[in-house]
Amino acid sequence: MSKILGIDLGTTFSAMAVIEGGEPKIIENKEGGRITPSIVAITKSGERLVGVLAKRQQITNHQNTIFSIKRLMGRRYSAPEVQRDKKTLPYEIRESKDGGVEVKMGERFYNPSEISAMVLQKLKQDAEEKLGEKIDEAIITCPAYFDDSQRKATKVAGEIAGFKVRRIINEPTAAALAYGLTKKKDHQIVVYDLGGGTFDISVLNIGKDTKEDTIEVKATGGNTHLGGDDFDQRIMNWIVDNFKKDQGIDLSKDSLALQRIKEAAEKAKMELSSVLEAEINLPFISADSSGPKHLLYKLTRAQLENMVSDYIEESIRLVKETFKEANLKPEDIEEIVLVGGQTRMPKIQEEIKKVFNKELYKEINPDEVVAIGAAVEAGILQGEMKEVLLLDATPLSLGIETLGGVNTILITKNTTYPCGKTQIFSTAADNQSSVEIHVLQGERPMAIDNKSLGRFMLDGIPPSPRGIPQIEVTFDIDANGILNVTAKDKATAKSQSIRIEGSTGITKEEVERMKKEAEMHSAEDKKKQELIEAKNTADNLVYTTEKTLKESGDKVSAEIKKEIGEKVEALKKVKDGDNIEDIKQKSAELSQTIQKIGAELYKASQEKKPGEGEEKKPGEGEEPKAEEGEYKEK
Amino acid sequence: MVEENKDKNKEKELNFEALKKELQEFQKQKDEYLAGWQRSRADFLNYKKEEIERIEEILKYGGEEFILKILPILDNFDLVEKKLPEDLKNNDSIKGLLQIKTQILDFLRIQGVEEIKTIGEKFDPNFHEAAEQVELKDKDSGIIVEEVQKGYKINGRLLKPAKVKVVK
Repeated sequence: MSKILGIDLGTTFSAMAVIEGGEPKIIENKEGGRITPSIVAITKSGERLVGVLAKRQQITNHQNTIFSIKRLMGRRYSAPEVQRDKKTLPYEIRESKDGGVEVKMGERFYNPSEISAMVLQKLKQDAEEKLGEKIDEAIITCPAYFDDSQRKATKVAGEIAGFKVRRIINEPTAAALAYGLTKKKDHQIVVYDLGGGTFDISVLNIGKDTKEDTIEVKATGGNTHLGGDDFDQRIMNWIVDNFKKDQGIDLSKDSLALQRIKEAAEKAKMELSSVLEAEINLPFISADSSGPKHLLYKLTRAQLENMVSDYIEESIRLVKETFKEANLKPEDIEEIVLVGGQTRMPKIQEEIKKVFNKELYKEINPDEVVAIGAAVEAGILQGEMKEVLLLDATPLSLGIETLGGVNTILITKNTTYPCGKTQIFSTAADNQSSVEIHVLQGERPMAIDNKSLGRFMLDGIPPSPRGIPQIEVTFDIDANGILNVTAKDKATAKSQSIRIEGSTGITKEEVERMKKEAEMHSAEDKKKQELIEAKNTADNLVYTTEKTLKESGDKVSAEIKKEIGEKVEALKKVKDGDNIEDIKQKSAELSQTIQKIGAELYKASQEKKPGEGEEKKPGEGEEPKAEEGEYKEK
Repeated sequence: MVEENKDKNKEKELNFEALKKELQEFQKQKDEYLAGWQRSRADFLNYKKEEIERIEEILKYGGEEFILKILPILDNFDLVEKKLPEDLKNNDSIKGLLQIKTQILDFLRIQGVEEIKTIGEKFDPNFHEAAEQVELKDKDSGIIVEEVQKGYKINGRLLKPAKVKVVK
């Protein structure tokens, strides 16, 4: 069965994905890129270029390099959006015979669907090459606000490219599919999509009995000319203005300098999503009569946020306007999904969270999430993503409480289930006849800081020294997310278990809260953990020392016994306290002193057997020599 | 009595047929699940094999990302050289500084990195990016006349395109 390609046909960039091994996976284009510029060009020699190659020669060929064609797909020439774009687009546009739009590239005019088809064709070829098989079918996404004519134009584009277009699905729906949010029924989702050049906000409703392809779009809104590029422009303006002030040179007239500044601005913007300060370093940006001029500025995150605050506010205003239109309040929205690279900006995420007071779905690469969703839809259609095969992962780690109140993790967070893990534990005290299995959920190293899911006892453990019994503890999560914990004593084969439901049905808010707490307390948690480890080591040391002393009896001299006894007492005094340094030191001292027992024992074993190991003395231990002349008879 | 028996038999027959049908459906489902399970297992084993190939790829081209980050620094050295005023060209300290550039280039050469030819070559979007168009009567259209920023190949593949000025 051949694969169906999931395609995000974007205004500035496109992406594609397929299901591989049951999982959606982005396919790289021929140039190795995970996204492909939605740009087509015809060179002077008549060669057709698509994608990044077309982008590279754009400056030498403005009139024949077609970009943002999505803005013209399925629209009437007289539409205000078309007239507005016509003013700024460097290529020629005219009205077609049926009142639609035509663009000029090279010698002739093309229908926008034909241009989009060229992009889709390249994606098809690259995908076939990468996967080594023919791909005939596709799922293509389009904005939720696209009307019938625009959707048809998109489908036609796919067909011209050689695809059988199985579905045209809405971009916000694809995003929801990517996160598996369509599995739950009867809830509303908001998708906030801020890309390079467009902003789209959609409210989706997943009804009680809806199938994936009949998800209702309750409302849409946005601004078709607001995006990350505008943010870059603000930074560029700031740089140019500052330079004018500092050096008296207007860089806006220098196209090469502007290109460097644009690149640096975008780079700084991206860096500021993860650090608080970024450097814009452009030596030899210009020159005047006094010599070369260099540009070096620091831009803080706060400054950037100030610069673009009106854009962010506008987007939030549009969000509120959109769900008011749907007669909904923020509390009615259950999930918010982020799409588009610009949503990586912390301030934007903060502002959205303020509106809805919920955690945001942002883990999947926002540039790729729509393509991923299209691939998920493809998988569902092909039955590769049967409901039964859509698997989840544990949101938090699962473990048990061990000696010292420590959380010993058996299944780490984000493990796909069904799954199972077994580990062997033992007793903490001599003749301990039962163990308590206390099941925990969370990331923190101390048991008490995590969520207690349940506990049970396993008894009947035959009396043995501590550390000898083998208790096999198994954590098993079935396909429904139900956790079964079993403890089995390998000696008696006796076992006990507990069944815990709902350990995986934890809300996203709780998960985020616990993860944050773990991060916040990681330093002090680490200290606590080290203290516990030191105490456990000290306990063990005291136990083995006392045992060895008892067993060795007279073999060890009284003075050594006394010395060791003192060290043991010293350690006993500190090991129940909180001074980790003291515990470590006294443990080390005892450790060193104990070695004397070993030395003594070995010495004692040597004295017991004289001659053994020593050089053989002539005559000793040898057979009596036959004396000459004597005749020995038996 | 006979009628009752007939009815009872009919009922039994219907039950039997229903059970047979159910059994067939379960059989079909079992086969489907088993096939799916086997396929999944095979996918997993294949994934493991591919993973080893992927790791080899990563090791081979892993340095690439890092080298890409160093290139802008190298670009600035190029700028120094380019914009150096005549009177400083023979300055020994400057010469020493620029020798460091050769050091970086040498390091890159060993990684398999080489510069992309530009001036005099025909513009090729596979290796060049147009930064500006220039009007020049005595040169052919599409020829590169100036290099704005160096481009590099690594082991034959494009690493970073060269930014160039092209004749209109």
